[in-house]
Amino acid sequence: MKKYIFYTILSFLITTSVSARKTGCEGNCENGFGKWTYTDKTTYEGNWVGTQKHGQGIETWPNGYIYNGKFKKSEWSGRGILTFPDGSIYEGEWANGFMNGKGKFIWSDGKEKIGIWKNGKLQE
Amino acid sequence: MNEGYSNKLKELLPQPIREFGGLISLIFIVILSFAILNIFFGQGDELVEKMKKEEARVAEANKLSEIISTLPSGILTFYEGSEHYKLSREQYETVCKITKIIPQRAVMGANLINFKATQIYNANGNQIAETFVNWDKKEKKCIAGFVLSGSVNGGEKEKITISGEVLNFLSTGIDTRVYFIKNF
Repeated sequence: MKKYIFYTILSFLITTSVSARKTGCEGNCENGFGKWTYTDKTTYEGNWVGTQKHGQGIETWPNGYIYNGKFKKSEWSGRGILTFPDGSIYEGEWANGFMNGKGKFIWSDGKEKIGIWKNGKLQE
Repeated sequence: MNEGYSNKLKELLPQPIREFGGLISLIFIVILSFAILNIFFGQGDELVEKMKKEEARVAEANKLSEIISTLPSGILTFYEGSEHYKLSREQYETVCKITKIIPQRAVMGANLINFKATQIYNANGNQIAETFVNWDKKEKKCIAGFVLSGSVNGGEKEKITISGEVLNFLSTGIDTRVYFIKNF
């Protein structure tokens, strides 16, 4: 009897957690193209491979950051454009979620800087 | 001897004056008793000060909630070119002074251009040691930041402070939160 109750509760928990997880998805968020909306209203719309963001996609944060570019294992990796809430833009290469490689930073006042970036820092 | 004098005084003074004298004595005794009690147990000045502080705090809280109620819910900005509600200079200062919360996305955004901060943040379960929101009187800017503390890959404990100008807040209708810290 105890075992029966345990398995019933376990299956209920698994079912609810899976269904809750599914509620954030429109399309295919496992292998294919889909839009995922997180509980804090962050959204990702793009390609998924093995439930990870992989390939081209757009991630929009509720506070105004927008990343449009390549993803690799859910991290910003490859070519991408990050728009900051105030309109500043970084356009260039990314690796491990950071500006890494050649890129151009345009401040909201129009000032530009082109250079090589390493872990989010411009190499002077 | 003393009894004799008091009896003589009683006979000499008319009844209403004696009664009035008794009343004055009674009042004097009551005041004196309170004065003596106040010496031992009294915290009169402190209590008044506490009450004044509490009154000021309630008045401030009412004022702040009044300010929040005048703001629309959603993102409040302090830069041009956005469809969100743009705060006036006075509103920006007021909102800055009443804001205490810095949510996770604001922290992650500020961390984006600070590799070390991201490392500490990720390695320590997104723990934030301390947050602060201050109004810079001299620069007339709202400055917010946070302190991250912890070790990366089992190394020595490190501490890093990230701060920058707040250019966007979120009004929930109940409180206001820092939403974008421009630290670049």
